[in-house]
Amino acid sequence: MRFLRHHLYDGGGEPEDDLFERNRKEAFENAKIEINEKSRESGEALKKEEHNDAFRIVGIQPDTTALAPLKKKWYKDKPILSMVFLALVIGGCLCCDLIMTKNPTYMDLMNYNRAPDREFLFGTDTMGRDIFSMIWYGGRISLFIGLFSTLISTVIAVVFGGISGIAPQWLDTLLMRLTEILLSIPNLLLVILLQAILGTANVVTISIVIGVTSWPSIAKVVRTEVRQIRSSEYVIASRCMGGGFFHLLWHHLAPNFVSSIMFMVVMNIRSAIVSESTLSFMGIGLPLEIISWGSMLSLSEKALLTGSWWIILIPGVFLVVTLLCMTEVGNYLRRQVNQKERNL
Amino acid sequence: MKKNKVWYVTKKLLIFVVSLLLLSVITFYISRLAPGDPLVSYYGDRVEKMSTQERNWAEEKLGLHEPITVQYVRWLGNALHGEFGISYKYKTDVLEVIAGRIGNTLILGGVGFILIFVLALLLGVWCAWYEDRLPDRIVCRIGTVTSCIPEFWMSLLFILVFSVQLRLLPSSGAYSIGKSNDILDRIRHLILPITIVVLGHLWYYAYMVRNKLLEEVRSDYVLLAKSKGLGKKKILFGHCLRNILPSYLSIMAISVPHVLGGTYIIETVFSYPGIGTLSYESARYKDYNLLMVLCILSGAIVILCNMIAQAINEQIDPRIRANEMTEESEVVKQ
Repeated sequence: MRFLRHHLYDGGGEPEDDLFERNRKEAFENAKIEINEKSRESGEALKKEEHNDAFRIVGIQPDTTALAPLKKKWYKDKPILSMVFLALVIGGCLCCDLIMTKNPTYMDLMNYNRAPDREFLFGTDTMGRDIFSMIWYGGRISLFIGLFSTLISTVIAVVFGGISGIAPQWLDTLLMRLTEILLSIPNLLLVILLQAILGTANVVTISIVIGVTSWPSIAKVVRTEVRQIRSSEYVIASRCMGGGFFHLLWHHLAPNFVSSIMFMVVMNIRSAIVSESTLSFMGIGLPLEIISWGSMLSLSEKALLTGSWWIILIPGVFLVVTLLCMTEVGNYLRRQVNQKERNL
Repeated sequence: MKKNKVWYVTKKLLIFVVSLLLLSVITFYISRLAPGDPLVSYYGDRVEKMSTQERNWAEEKLGLHEPITVQYVRWLGNALHGEFGISYKYKTDVLEVIAGRIGNTLILGGVGFILIFVLALLLGVWCAWYEDRLPDRIVCRIGTVTSCIPEFWMSLLFILVFSVQLRLLPSSGAYSIGKSNDILDRIRHLILPITIVVLGHLWYYAYMVRNKLLEEVRSDYVLLAKSKGLGKKKILFGHCLRNILPSYLSIMAISVPHVLGGTYIIETVFSYPGIGTLSYESARYKDYNLLMVLCILSGAIVILCNMIAQAINEQIDPRIRANEMTEESEVVKQ
């Protein structure tokens, strides 16, 4: 139905189409009620059934309709806690200048490797930098890398998937084989080599490296979706009128697959942050001077020797909590999409 | 029909070989394009003291002075004869270097994979059995949290707790010095890495099993089985589980490369002497010959696993193959 609606909007539907659409809508509504009744999951559906039942027992009954909430509460099913946490972390990182108690890059050689106390809220690392300030300052870079590399990989994925979806069979097969081969090179090695080609790592190059290596899974979804709708009337009509590839992609194809890749895009942000921290930890990503959650963790081998748990624990907890919140939001998005599909 | 099958197998084999060839071209070019001095891994620090003449001589000896294409053709010719050259760092035949290490990775990855396979199935069934009740919810919560923890950080935590604080388990290597034949010692070294390999991947697959089972439970034949008087256990294990097993198998086939990639990182964290640390070293220090063989080895595993998964899927759902065929015939018509 998503596609149908789009089609109407695009071409200006005829009256018969409109009628057809309405009939279908009605049928869908009926079907929806039936499904609800069958599953008996929501209380509302049950109540509806009771009132439609011609053979119900007459007499005084508890008035269930008055108690039933008229509207679903706005926060129902939404991952509120995760959203709040995510907003806190992002907000804190964006306004880190207001929160930071120390200069995050200043190496205080008098106070290195200090356990958390009142002056250094989260302690200091082996180079004497204040971890509390570094968290917010470095979070900015970690989040930026996540977003930027996801942007890169999404653009590549959409263009590649679009081409592969619209292209004739032989080209499509060729492109898909190519992605498979690219996928079969161990990710770690590919990243190391690409990083070496681009020179010493900084925030932009590492985002590019991560973005360039993480697009195939989204591209596959885009391709499948495009293949399903590429022979719809509105696409053909647009092509007949001389619409170019990018016009087609942006105006006709993208609105249809955007909801199904939304979940993957959010997950991609997550995995980009993970890869950045893993790479920095292993010493192939960001150097120590550029503060991010990953490069903070790259000091942890020294910390293991001295048993200073705060250097390992605190940046990691921030990392994991952020990732967890992103996963919750992503799962929520996926549920939304699935719901739509089920109702259709 | 039989001819069809032969054609099918040869086609797959052809694709496999061509893919490997392309893979080798890509890795060869990318690794050669990356700056870095392969001489360092061969001669060590002596490189810095070399004169230009000596350098040229050394490059000629290793065959690094020619254009990349010529190098590739020569490499391919040798590789087809089974000669993959020597490792610059270890100065012995590449295959020997790998043979010494691959056993460790196979144990780590293999045991980890089997554990993931079995535990994910059990956990998924357990969750589906208690759908939306307390046990399921608790497991789901814990699972989501563990799946969010990056593997390297989980290893750090485990090392911090079990090796540094409690001093129970060793934190690195595959065996203690001088105890390479002591099996108990090896097992002790394996516990932490394997736990992390399993924990890192377990929930992803368990959740998949759970969701697939729940989907299956909602289908009509379950109603029929119930009305026949079958018990819950019998329906779940005898019917639903059997129906999802083939697709689970194909998913697990695809998962092999992911588990493998995970072991690479874990091996480096634990400095476990396996393929992972080897390929990390070879990529960083431009040990070209070693890198090529490692890439092709893991690439071959990935491509093979994908093919197995595809074959299983085609067996389960012949529509996939039918689709392919009709699309192909369309192309022929055009």
